[in-house]
Amino acid sequence: MDTEVADLGIDIPESEAAVVIIGSGAGGGTVAHELATRGIRCVVLEAGPYLTADDYENDEWAAFNQMAWLDMRTTSGSWRVATDFPNLPTWIVKAVGGSTTHWSGATPRFMAHEFRARSTYGEVDGASLLDWPIGLDDLAPYYDKAEMAIGSTHRHGRKPQPASNNYFVFANGAERAGYKYYATGPYGTNAEPYDGRPASIQDGFNFQGDKQRSKWSTRVREIPRAVASGNCDLRPSSQAVKITHDSAGKVDGVEYVDAGGNLHKQAARVVCVAGNSIESPRLLLMSASSLHPDGLANSSGQVGCNYMRHTTGSAYATFEQPVRMYRGETMAGIIADEAKHDTSRGFAGGYYMETLALGPAFLASFIEPGEWGRPFTQKMEAYAHTAGMWIVGEDMPQTSNRITLNTEVKDQLGLPVPDVHFDDHPNDTAMRSHGYRAADAIYGAVGALSVHHTPPYPSTHNLGTCRMSARPEDGVVDGWGRTHDVPNLFVSDGSVMTTGGAANPTMTIVALAIRQAEHIAGELAAGRL
Amino acid sequence: MPEDRVPGDPSTTDAAQDSSTGSPGLTERQAALLLRMLRVAYPHPDFPDAPYERTAKAVQEAGLTDSVLLDGLDDLDARADGDFLALDDQRATAVLEQIDTTDFFRRVHATTVVALYDDHEVWDLLGYEGSSFEKGGYLERGFDDLDWLPRPRIEEYEGEPRVELVTDESAS
Repeated sequence: MDTEVADLGIDIPESEAAVVIIGSGAGGGTVAHELATRGIRCVVLEAGPYLTADDYENDEWAAFNQMAWLDMRTTSGSWRVATDFPNLPTWIVKAVGGSTTHWSGATPRFMAHEFRARSTYGEVDGASLLDWPIGLDDLAPYYDKAEMAIGSTHRHGRKPQPASNNYFVFANGAERAGYKYYATGPYGTNAEPYDGRPASIQDGFNFQGDKQRSKWSTRVREIPRAVASGNCDLRPSSQAVKITHDSAGKVDGVEYVDAGGNLHKQAARVVCVAGNSIESPRLLLMSASSLHPDGLANSSGQVGCNYMRHTTGSAYATFEQPVRMYRGETMAGIIADEAKHDTSRGFAGGYYMETLALGPAFLASFIEPGEWGRPFTQKMEAYAHTAGMWIVGEDMPQTSNRITLNTEVKDQLGLPVPDVHFDDHPNDTAMRSHGYRAADAIYGAVGALSVHHTPPYPSTHNLGTCRMSARPEDGVVDGWGRTHDVPNLFVSDGSVMTTGGAANPTMTIVALAIRQAEHIAGELAAGRL
Repeated sequence: MPEDRVPGDPSTTDAAQDSSTGSPGLTERQAALLLRMLRVAYPHPDFPDAPYERTAKAVQEAGLTDSVLLDGLDDLDARADGDFLALDDQRATAVLEQIDTTDFFRRVHATTVVALYDDHEVWDLLGYEGSSFEKGGYLERGFDDLDWLPRPRIEEYEGEPRVELVTDESAS
C-alpha cells in the first residue's frame, strides 16, 4: 500500500475570523468536510496527533497507548468503572479522526419513538427524560447521506459482510433462541470496494485503527477531503483550552495550546465544539466569564449534566469446539429483536446485541476486572473456544450524572481535570440483566459450556452533556445544535443527544453534523451568522 | 531454577545495572517469592516459567519505587511461618486471599494482567494469532472456518417488519 501523507491543508492566519471546529471525529470531521467543500474557510483544532494507516499498530496495548485519550480524569459515583478504572472513565481516541479511528462500525439508526422518549416512556423516577426538539422525519434524509458517506453495508444496495466465526455462533444461537432480526450489519466497513477504499481483509483489528482503510472514519474520508478543498487548516496536537467572546456575547476566538506548550488564539466567526461528551462540556465550563459565570452557554445549568454512556455489558461463552472469535470483522453481527420498547420486560427502552471480540491482552484486563486465581485463568485458557457479544442499549439520563471541573486535580497544562460522575439507574440495571439472560439463551441454544457476564468497559459511547431542548431552560442547544445562549456557538458531537436511544451513536452524530453544517452554511450565506 | 535466570538477581536485572530507573533491587529470596506468587495467583499448569519470569521483570519495572513491593513480598513469608515457598498451591492461594485487597497485590495484579497476557509466547499457548494484516488478514486464513454449526444467514430478515414499539394496545 502507498504510504499516506498527513496533509494539513492551507494556513489560515490566526487573525482571520474563520469557522473554528474543535475536534476532528464523527461530528467535527463531518462539519469540517461539509463546510470546507462548500467554500467556507475552517480551522480544525485536534488535540491529538495525525496518525495514518501506516502508524496504526495491530496490537491491543500498543495501539491503546498510541491513540487512547489518556489525559488525567477522575471518577465518582456508584458505577463499577469508578472502582476498576478510576482514572479511565472512557475509552475514546485522541488523534485526527477522533473516536472514528477505533469505532466498531455498527450503524443502526434511531427509531422514531426514541426521539420522543419522555412522551413514550412517561415519567420515570429519577430520570431527566426529555423529548428531542427534532424527530426521525427531520433526520431521515441525513441518515441517508450518512449511510452513503460511511458506506454502511446492507443499505442502498451495498452487500453484507460475510459471516465470521464469532457470527456463526451468534447468529445460530439467535435463530435457535427465537430471534429473527439478526444480520452482519448494517456495518461501516466495506464488504466490497467502495468510495475509493478497498474491501475488508477480515484482519480482526478495527478498534486499533484499520490499516486496510476499509473501515470508514473521518480520518480516511472527511478530513482528507476537507483539506483537499483548499479551505481547511488542520492543526493536530492543538488542545483548545478556552472559547472567548466579545462584549456583545458572541464568541470571537479559541485559545489553544500546541504540541510545544505554546498558547495561541485563533479568531473565530463561528465555533463548533466537538470534543466528545467529556471534553466539550469541560471546555464550556472552563470558558466561564463575567458574562457567563457558570460556564459558556450554561444559563440553564445543564452543561455537563445528563451524561449518558449507554447501558452495556458483554457476554463471553465457552464451547467444546474452537471459535477463534478474533478472526474477522469485530462487530459485523447485530441482533435487533430486543431494541424495541416493551415495558412487559420490566424496563423502558431497548438494546441491541452485537458481536464483539477482544484479544487475550484486553480480555485479561476486562473480562472480570480484579479477578485472579483459577477461575480467572480458566477463562483465559478457553480463549480459542470463546465467543463474545456486546449488549448496548438506552440508558436513562439523570441530572446528577454529570461532568464537572475537578479543581483539586490538574492536567499536564495545569487545567482542572474533568470528573465523571455516574450512577446506574434502576432501569439500566434491569436492562443489563435482561441482556445477560438473552445472551445465556443465545449461547445456551448452541451448546455453551459457560457464559460469563462481563461488566461495562470504560465508556465508548459518551452522550448528552450539552443536550438539545426545545426550551432554553431544559438544555444547552437547539434542534440545530446551536447553543441557546450564544448565537454563533454550536455543539457538533454526541453531547447534543437529548436521549441516547439504543443505537450505537456514530451514525446519528454524523447525520446530525451533516444537517447542522447545511444549516450553518445557509445562515452564513444569508448573513445571519 | 538456574542461578542465571533469577529475575531479581542483581547481576541480571536491568534495574540493578541502571540504578537511575529507581527500581528496587530484589534479593534472590524476594525474586523467588514474586515468581511463586505469580504462578499461584495466575495458575496455568501448562505454561513454562519464561512468561512468568518476564512478567516478574515487568512488575519490578512498573514503578514500584517505594517499599510496597519489597515489604509485600517479605510479608508473604511472614504469613507462612517464614516460608511461603514451602506452601502447596492451596495453602499459598489462601495466603494470597488474605492480601488481595492490599495496595501491593493490586499493583502486582494491574501489571500482571497486562504483561502476562501481552506476552507473545502466552498468545501462542492460548491459541491467539495476533496481527494478520501483513499476511493478508484472515480472509483466506480461516475467518469463517467454523465447521460445527451451519452457515447462518447474513442478510437482514425479510419477513414482517420488526416491531419497534409495543404499546398496551398492540400487546393485547
